[in-house]
Amino acid sequence: MGRIVFGGAMSHVLDPDYYERACGSVGRQKVEAAMAEIARMGERCSARNPDALIVVADDHLNAFSFNAVPAICVRIGRYVQRMAQDHAEAFDKVLDHMPERYPLHEALANRILEVGLESGFDLALSWEAPVDHAFLSPVNTMHGTRPIPPLVPIWVNCFVAPQPTARRCFAFGRHIARVVAASPWSVGIIATGGLSHFPELSLPRVGETDTVFDRKLIHWMEEGEHEPLLELTVGELHKSGEHEFLNWMVLLGAVTPARADVRYFGELPRINLAAVEWRL
Amino acid sequence: MSRYEVNSLLYRLKKDPEFRARFVTDPEAALAGADLTEAERAAFIARDMRKVNELGGYLHLVMSIPGLAAH
Repeated sequence: MGRIVFGGAMSHVLDPDYYERACGSVGRQKVEAAMAEIARMGERCSARNPDALIVVADDHLNAFSFNAVPAICVRIGRYVQRMAQDHAEAFDKVLDHMPERYPLHEALANRILEVGLESGFDLALSWEAPVDHAFLSPVNTMHGTRPIPPLVPIWVNCFVAPQPTARRCFAFGRHIARVVAASPWSVGIIATGGLSHFPELSLPRVGETDTVFDRKLIHWMEEGEHEPLLELTVGELHKSGEHEFLNWMVLLGAVTPARADVRYFGELPRINLAAVEWRL
Repeated sequence: MSRYEVNSLLYRLKKDPEFRARFVTDPEAALAGADLTEAERAAFIARDMRKVNELGGYLHLVMSIPGLAAH
């Protein structure tokens, strides 16, 4: 019988130079502290020898653009490529030094997709979509020079309205838990992004965060109280800059009712950095 | 939802280096065939990404177009 052996969530622009430019030396210090905790989370994940690592993250209009924006998409196939971007700027630049190709856990991805469709989740699939910093910055920070387990990348549409609901994302996480339980594999799962940043996706509000909202979310995760999180609306998440918490909702569905331990939380003007791990 | 044309143009500026170079050299010519309002066209030509965002351009695009990004 399969099992989820690791669950974690973390911010996904893990680049000291980026935060130095955006927030000065305090930005560098805080993201380095967050990255150190994420690396330790990665060590604990590796120690449990997962057969696969599910990564729930969002696209930043890199992979899907405007030809199609899936609510939830499972990456299938044997390998996934790092996103290519000439003269990368800002958060795209994080990818520059990272490996270009990553093996996938094809069988687990196919089960999540196929069983999902059989059980009422109208999932999108992709053989070709590349992954951006939302996937690769956490994965590489977690693993350093250690081998990275075969990945199962899953995109949630966090930014292009209308997005899936928090409740639906949680339900999809429950589906993942059932698929893993019925499989022969040990599986790690991470969700990436956040916490509060870029409220209303408005350029004049870049630099604002909603720490009160973050602390409310963290409290519920620490207590294992997931019911209130199901009631979060897309409008609330938009106003508070918690768009990417939809990724975390998938993870919560996969690990509920486990409680969370906060490994790092640091306020910055640009974003509140976080690293959280669940007791499994 | 944001306007498709604004975001489609932002996406092309990000992902198509040749189009981006044409835009930098002569923005009015590069945008000649684009279905934009006058306000949108003016914002692009002025490279006013704050205005482009206000007019519906997605934040992550206006913040990541090489050489034109708002920070």
